[in-house]
Amino acid sequence: MSKRDFDVIGKGVTRKDGPKKVKGEHEFADDLQFPMMLHGRIKRSDIGHGRIVRIDTSRAEALTGVKAVLIGAETPIKYGIVPQMPTEYALAHEKVRFYGEPVAAVAAVDAETAEQALDLIEIEYEALPVYTTPEEAMAEGAVKIHADNRFPGNIAYEADQNFGDVDEAFRNSHYVLEKTFKTSYVNHAFMEPHCAVSKFDTNGELFIWSTTQVPHYLHRHLSKVLQMEMNRIHVKVTGVGGAFGGKGEVSNNELISALLARKAGRPVKVLYSRKDVFLQHRGRHPIEMRVKVGVDKDGMITAIDYDGTMDGGSYGGWGLVILFYTAAMLHLPYDVKNVRFNARRIYTNKPTCGAMRGLGGVQPRFALESLLDQIAIDIGMNPYELKKRNAIGLSHETVSGQVVRHCEFRKCLDQAVELSGYKEKHGKLPFGKGIGLAGGYYISGTAYTLYMAYKPHSSAMIRVDNESGVTVYCGATDIGQGSDTVLGMMAAEKFGLPFESVHVVSGDTSLAPFDLGTFASRVTVAAGSAVCKAADNIMEKIMPVAAIQLGVRPGQLEARNGKIFSVFEPGKEIDFWKVVEKYIDAHGPLTATGDYTPPRRTGNFKGANIGHSPTYGFSAQCTEVDIDTETGEVRIVRVTEAGDCGQPINPVSVEGQVEGSIVMGMGQALFEEIKVGKDGRLLNPSLHDYKIPTMADVPELRTTFVDSYDPDSPFGAKEAGEGPIQPVIPAIFNAVYDAIGVRFTEMPITPEKVLQALDAKKKQEGKGR
Amino acid sequence: MHSEPIEYEKPASLREFESIYAAKAEDAKILSGGTDLHVLIKEKLLAPRLLIDISDLPELRGISYDPVRGVTIMAGTKIAEIERSPLVKEHAPALAFAAANLGSNQVRWMATMAGNICHASPAAETPPVLLAHDCELLIARQGGERTLPISRFFLSYRKTALETGEYVKAFRLPPLPARAAVSYRFKGLRKAMEIDMLNIGAYLELGEDGTSVNEVRLAMGSVGPVTYRAVVTEQKLKGMRIGEEFFAAACDGVVQEATPIDDVRASAQYRNRVIGVLTRRALEECLHRIGERRG
Repeated sequence: MSKRDFDVIGKGVTRKDGPKKVKGEHEFADDLQFPMMLHGRIKRSDIGHGRIVRIDTSRAEALTGVKAVLIGAETPIKYGIVPQMPTEYALAHEKVRFYGEPVAAVAAVDAETAEQALDLIEIEYEALPVYTTPEEAMAEGAVKIHADNRFPGNIAYEADQNFGDVDEAFRNSHYVLEKTFKTSYVNHAFMEPHCAVSKFDTNGELFIWSTTQVPHYLHRHLSKVLQMEMNRIHVKVTGVGGAFGGKGEVSNNELISALLARKAGRPVKVLYSRKDVFLQHRGRHPIEMRVKVGVDKDGMITAIDYDGTMDGGSYGGWGLVILFYTAAMLHLPYDVKNVRFNARRIYTNKPTCGAMRGLGGVQPRFALESLLDQIAIDIGMNPYELKKRNAIGLSHETVSGQVVRHCEFRKCLDQAVELSGYKEKHGKLPFGKGIGLAGGYYISGTAYTLYMAYKPHSSAMIRVDNESGVTVYCGATDIGQGSDTVLGMMAAEKFGLPFESVHVVSGDTSLAPFDLGTFASRVTVAAGSAVCKAADNIMEKIMPVAAIQLGVRPGQLEARNGKIFSVFEPGKEIDFWKVVEKYIDAHGPLTATGDYTPPRRTGNFKGANIGHSPTYGFSAQCTEVDIDTETGEVRIVRVTEAGDCGQPINPVSVEGQVEGSIVMGMGQALFEEIKVGKDGRLLNPSLHDYKIPTMADVPELRTTFVDSYDPDSPFGAKEAGEGPIQPVIPAIFNAVYDAIGVRFTEMPITPEKVLQALDAKKKQEGKGR
Repeated sequence: MHSEPIEYEKPASLREFESIYAAKAEDAKILSGGTDLHVLIKEKLLAPRLLIDISDLPELRGISYDPVRGVTIMAGTKIAEIERSPLVKEHAPALAFAAANLGSNQVRWMATMAGNICHASPAAETPPVLLAHDCELLIARQGGERTLPISRFFLSYRKTALETGEYVKAFRLPPLPARAAVSYRFKGLRKAMEIDMLNIGAYLELGEDGTSVNEVRLAMGSVGPVTYRAVVTEQKLKGMRIGEEFFAAACDGVVQEATPIDDVRASAQYRNRVIGVLTRRALEECLHRIGERRG
């Protein structure tokens, strides 16, 4: 595929779901109603860790309007998104591992009755010690949160990777800096709470409508937990009101709705409250990491040494994968020859951490970009200069074997610095004002499925006929990021038709061909490739028909503006739909499929499969802050972003991703933190007390693209959904350093911490004099 | 706590409301905007048997001004109406500002100021401004009315001076003297939709010379179980001249009188430190406003 002028790609089309969402017409799971539908509610544990001694549901069952009550013993089948390490149950079985864990569930004629029934369920526990920090969970003599865990000290999994000779490199370094960083316990705070509706038909087939990113994995899990064949289960993704990774694994409400529906013999909806969302969690792992970086006298990075402890919460989830992603994301977008990574994920008695926008990258990026900033300042170099020198070039292979086939990171640095005036401002603004620079990158998909399989990761089918027009069937899931739009645009461009005329059927395991799901920023490249291939196959079928009609060779033909014409004699043209009609008259239905399998790369070390991606996106940001040194308030004034996402397919969607990433990262840098009591209880599980940024907090955002085109990607595109969050937090922290000379290493930077740090600094300077 | 369904009544007139409330006040809660009340009920912190919905009573809506009595705001007036009222903006701009910073736009179109004060949270937005204005409350019951200065309204955490069967009917903000102004300052983590870590309402009245201080009122929120005035400091500041000494005395005074605790929003130490900063800024703003008023 080569770059050219496009008719649809790169133009800001109106998303078909946009007006419907604005008018409240887009259908979300909670909008669904079925005759006889019941409402399910979940009884949650009121202790943080303990054995279930007795559950008495008789009073709940006796309540008028209650149609089914379910407990964990009825569904003792373990599952997990990482199939080799299942740790979870639909409802707690034998023990509870966090405060608020689902223990029993009720389906009743309405939500109020179900909630009333929950109060009638009696549960007796034998309490065990509650560990809310990795230190407590790892302490000698600590009770095992998972009895069958093969590691000691509540370690869920360990990783150690070592490339080059780190110690030798440090010995030969001109300057070495080591600091310990801590990231906080944060939730995605997506707008729409989880909701699932399950319905069994008379033949015993299950239909489930859910707000999920991963219909395929939900399909597999339902088959396992309900012990049903997959071909008797139909997963349908409804509108998804944000997910950011939080709906990227199976949620208890999905399994519970299906189990209750089966038991009650009626459709059951299980809708979460915001508190339930915080308990389901799967947000970002808090990591305490000691990171050491060395440079030579030119500022070239000699080595990175990382030791990190991840607080995983009570279950496995995506944890194992995230642990190794953190390893993979330590060095890029810089060229580093010596890297050591030691880390562990720890079980604690808290809601489980998991996938959250930019997983694996955000925490090490925070540490690395902060350290590089400080190192540059310490050795008297501009941080931009140091980062530019170390930035990888147009293509690169890392010491761990990750192959970057296309990269415009240097352009990102140049453009963000240029547009923001970073060089003129850094180190030169008055006390209290500062500017910070950070870079980042992210994968555009993965190399492997979570279970052993050789099938394509994405597949698509396109059907073209004169009655229904063009319909693209693809299992990819639009979770609000706009993949239906992007896939439809790609097909429209291929056929030379307007975007509006293409229909996309997605996120449905019965209707659409297989796709792994929406995660790892994989959809545009993977599903996009599959759709492009299917479209090419359609064109291959109809071009010979058009060629005969026009009396030219098929190879001379191009489709544009609803016509198929000869590129040499544009007068020789025929209407696209006329050709379709001729084709169908002669050959029958016009359909074609396409699929995509990423390159399989690996290495000879533990976790080597993880981190490979067909291609990578890059970005750089310059962030300006203004600090009120009397109250400690940090105000973000302006963020200038320059991104390499290849060719933006729908630039408006990319801008949305970047702006959303900045606001999300900013919340984590300044406000957000789930607070946990000693007993494991969440202290702020509401959007009232868990503070995400409001529109009033949003700074001036300057989102730009660098000129970029990955020739091996569909229409030159790469990811844009998770890369742009990578630089946000360190850019803010670096700006704060520039403003007040304090190097924060712990999120979030609250006004309180700013004042304390300013006091400490004053004291220090007083002593120095 | 009972678990029976809550009964609901919606009287069509103030008279009807007063008679229902007189009969059932023990078990009833007045529903006006519901932005606090429904949350408390949902969280199972409150379980009234009866909700009396007064949200559409015309007698309880409206804002008026009279040069002698000042601004009168009826209890059922929506916060958003206070925020937008030209009368409030002219005669009590700090109240319009505090109203604009309460919750979200959606909340402001539901909530009322009477609800804001009757909830009696020490972090509420309007009490500091009302205290700074030395607002008078009109408190009513079936067959009677009384007035009460707002400084005597908040008794302790979430407890007010309302007696069973009484309700807040109106707020009266006396007219400001020529050389006086009120300001409001707050500090939350983020810029909107916030429960303040701290807030303060300040009243400053200068003498004819324009530099001597006739009267000061400093009402602090989130530094104690209720919003309250730093009365000792207020007395000390009276008669001082505007200048660094005055501001320093004000800041030191409020820190002395503040009794904050550590909670999820901020530590006592932070509050003690920043209440002084806010006090200075609030008084500076008052001075600025007085200057503006005098042209």
